Amino acid sequence: MALQIQKTFQVNEPLEKVWSFLSDPRKVAACVPGAQITEQVDEKTYKGAISVKVGPSVTDYKGEVQIVRLDNQNHEIEILGKGQDVRGRGSASMKMTGKLRALDSGGTEVTSSSELNVIGMLAQMGSRVISEVSNIMFGEFVKNFQARLAQPEGAADAAAQAAPAKPISATSVAWQAAKGVFRRDS
Amino acid sequence: MITKTTPEVGGMGHPIKRKEDARFLQGKGNYVDDVHLPGMVYGHMVRSPYAHARLKSINTEKAKQLPGVLAIITGEDLAKANLAWMPTLFFDKQMVLATGKVLFQAQEVAFVVAEDQYTAADAAELVEVEYEELPVLVDPYKATDPDAPILREDREEKSNHIFHWEVGDRAATEKDFQNAAVKATVHAISQRCHPAPLETCGCVADYNKATEKLTIYLTSQAPHAHRTLFSIVGGIPEQNIRVISPDIGGGFGNKVPIYPGYVCAVVASLTLGVPVKWIETRSENLQSTGFARDYHMTAEIAADQNGKVKALRVKTLADHGAFNAAAQPTKFPAGLFSVCTGSYDFANSFCEVDGVYTNKAPGGIAYRCSFRITEAAYLIERAIDVLAAQLKMDPAEFRRKNFIQPDQFPYKTPLGWTYDSGNYEGAMNKALEMVGYKELRKEQEEKRKKGELMGIGISSFTEAVGAGPAHTFDIAGIKMFDSAEIRVHPTGKAICRMGTKSQGQGHETTYAQIVAQELGIPASDVIIEEGDTDTAPYGLGTYASRSTPTSGAATAMAARKIRDKAKKIAAHLLECSEEDLEWETGKFFVKGAPSKSKTIQEIAFAAYTNFPEGLEAGLEAVNYYDPPNLTFPFGTYICVTDIDKGTGEIKVRRFVAVDDCGNVINPMIVEGQIHGGLTEGLAIAFMQMIGYDENGNVQGGTFMDYLIPTAVETPHWETGSTCTPSPHHPFGAKGVGESPNVGSPAAFVNSVVDALSHLGVKHIDMPITPWKVWNILKEKGVVS
Repeated sequence: MALQIQKTFQVNEPLEKVWSFLSDPRKVAACVPGAQITEQVDEKTYKGAISVKVGPSVTDYKGEVQIVRLDNQNHEIEILGKGQDVRGRGSASMKMTGKLRALDSGGTEVTSSSELNVIGMLAQMGSRVISEVSNIMFGEFVKNFQARLAQPEGAADAAAQAAPAKPISATSVAWQAAKGVFRRDS
Repeated sequence: MITKTTPEVGGMGHPIKRKEDARFLQGKGNYVDDVHLPGMVYGHMVRSPYAHARLKSINTEKAKQLPGVLAIITGEDLAKANLAWMPTLFFDKQMVLATGKVLFQAQEVAFVVAEDQYTAADAAELVEVEYEELPVLVDPYKATDPDAPILREDREEKSNHIFHWEVGDRAATEKDFQNAAVKATVHAISQRCHPAPLETCGCVADYNKATEKLTIYLTSQAPHAHRTLFSIVGGIPEQNIRVISPDIGGGFGNKVPIYPGYVCAVVASLTLGVPVKWIETRSENLQSTGFARDYHMTAEIAADQNGKVKALRVKTLADHGAFNAAAQPTKFPAGLFSVCTGSYDFANSFCEVDGVYTNKAPGGIAYRCSFRITEAAYLIERAIDVLAAQLKMDPAEFRRKNFIQPDQFPYKTPLGWTYDSGNYEGAMNKALEMVGYKELRKEQEEKRKKGELMGIGISSFTEAVGAGPAHTFDIAGIKMFDSAEIRVHPTGKAICRMGTKSQGQGHETTYAQIVAQELGIPASDVIIEEGDTDTAPYGLGTYASRSTPTSGAATAMAARKIRDKAKKIAAHLLECSEEDLEWETGKFFVKGAPSKSKTIQEIAFAAYTNFPEGLEAGLEAVNYYDPPNLTFPFGTYICVTDIDKGTGEIKVRRFVAVDDCGNVINPMIVEGQIHGGLTEGLAIAFMQMIGYDENGNVQGGTFMDYLIPTAVETPHWETGSTCTPSPHHPFGAKGVGESPNVGSPAAFVNSVVDALSHLGVKHIDMPITPWKVWNILKEKGVVS
């Protein structure tokens, strides 16, 4: 099941600061609920894991994150992430393009466009649920992103290593996803 | 004519209440999941998340360590016993548990057995399976492309093509098309759907090591055939297998095949020596067990300028999923699809079907239909409407012009079937009258002027049900006869056992009414028992509306044998010769002296207490009935819809169903069957599809996505009937349970297409959702 997700949000930090954060997969991963980078393979490749809970279903993806393209000039990054559930219950891949634009206010606009491909039991929940789950996860991500960016340089690093963002709670995702589905249909 | 018995006797034609309902309505039914045996343990299936992947490894260590886990069976374990694969019902084999690779999402990979079902489910989560993903084949049209992945490595033929089947006169049909003044074409998909019985599939396998007897409580529509297959495949002597189908909560064809879960439960019970229960979850049922349809069809009709049809040409692609697990008679790879000439008098026809493998669940079974006849009826009824619209003829008048006429029966179709009897125009006329057709057309015309959308859809279907005859029909080599055994007790009450198996059809009532009709023993004095292979005579089971045409006929034939013997006993009691006796429901009397008589109850008592010398004691008989032909019920359904322009919502305003199933056993049960089948037809037309995304993920695997009609969606059904008895059936009956599912989808679709026909719409594929209609309205500029 392939899903296209387009998101734009703003942060009150200058472009260069945001760029140095966005271009470091370890820092970005620390903002994704349930995700962590476990190992750096080479300059552009990292090993990582992400745990996604939807209702009673927990999927623990383990895999690789690769920077496919890093354009310091135009502040664009393309990341490819691929993972398989550790118990063999499915796989997921995501191609994400992130782009920054300086705002007149001095802040930065982040535009991300992702293609998410989910295979396995999770995909059976249908695009309605999956897109709601990714909406919720993205919301959490933006919150974490803004918070960590606002922290002093060293603190963010320490936080990223000490405490990776927790996976969002099973019930809350299922409930919010359900609400999302009904909201959309009504 | 059928003699009408008194209401007390309750023979044919009496709308007596269903005997089985007393226990069903009180929650006292006994379904497989109600079976609890001492020491029983539970199985749970580990399933593939991938539609196509190589199995790299299965690690069961963590799962085994969970307290309460007793065994974990994998494909490799089964391979050691030569059980990793099993035959399907149609010349193919399918994996019981995967070895090498998996071929569809939710395929069975490992079977976990534990002390309780929760532990079994938890342990299944702990089984770690490593897969390597392979390219997925979802689109049947791409199955034979040169770059398509080859799914079945076990087959010698390295191709995804399963079979090519054709029937009819290709050359004569071509010629008719070359000379035709008018031609019409429709491409219609009978989408993959699922019977979704309320009770999912399951079993309790109970192997007793001391007696070596294996008892299987099974959700089975064909318990005897399943016993034979378990014996042949498993190498267990058949006398040591007892299959018991207790109450079944709906089958609709879904419970005809043997599923991997059954085999695993049996293997687990043989290994552990304790009863093993395995019950599917709802999603497992929808995702892995027998789906129906998935026929991608093109029909072309050649006709003359006056609208008289000449020839029909049909080309179809059948998507069978990963294994060809169709439940079909051996000689018919596409079942009875060649009844596609329907109710119309075609001079020539040619029909071809190709079957292919894809990375989807295996099937396809006959969902409340006689082996692919729903697809056939839908196609021809759509094609007829398309041609009528093209000729700007009224669809009712167009049908009238082309119907097979009553004096043409028995009618031989160009594709080789012989219809037993019919009066298609009679049924259509009745339906037109009931619905008020002329007034509705006027109303439609006026509404169109106002921009309102209203449609009238007609379907004048012909069904072909009740397989055998044995010379044409067999399943896995077993001929499709069926049986009945009647035992009359000394007090004049009786028990009957059949080779069929009710799943909600009301057999306990209708068979008793046949006995009542034939012997005069009140239906309330007759017990019907089915589903226990240790007690019932051998039979092929219930599907394809075959119970009344086969076991119903066998019941009448066995009853007539009993009547013959009763006559001998009556002659003995009345001290006269048999020739002097005459039968009147429930008694023999001396011709010309009606007061000198013996009732069937008196005769039954004498059969055990005072029987003539030289005659065997007792009053019982068995009959194995091989029908000389199928029976061909028919009818006309008319659907009236109103469409909301703003939302695309379709409202079924009226639905008139006129059925002709010959002589009726119980009109109330027939009406109930019609209501149920129409409701399922409505769901297929408007709501249901087992879809797959491009990665082979099931998109209809829960009731959240696979919609079940409720009272809210279901309109008021108006039923009517005509009666054209079957000339070859012992009491002139035809099957009926499936007619409404076979005949109604076309009526719904024709109605919606009719509502939109003035906009240039010629066809819409099922399920016709409001979203689809709304998009069409947008495209046609009706809504912005």
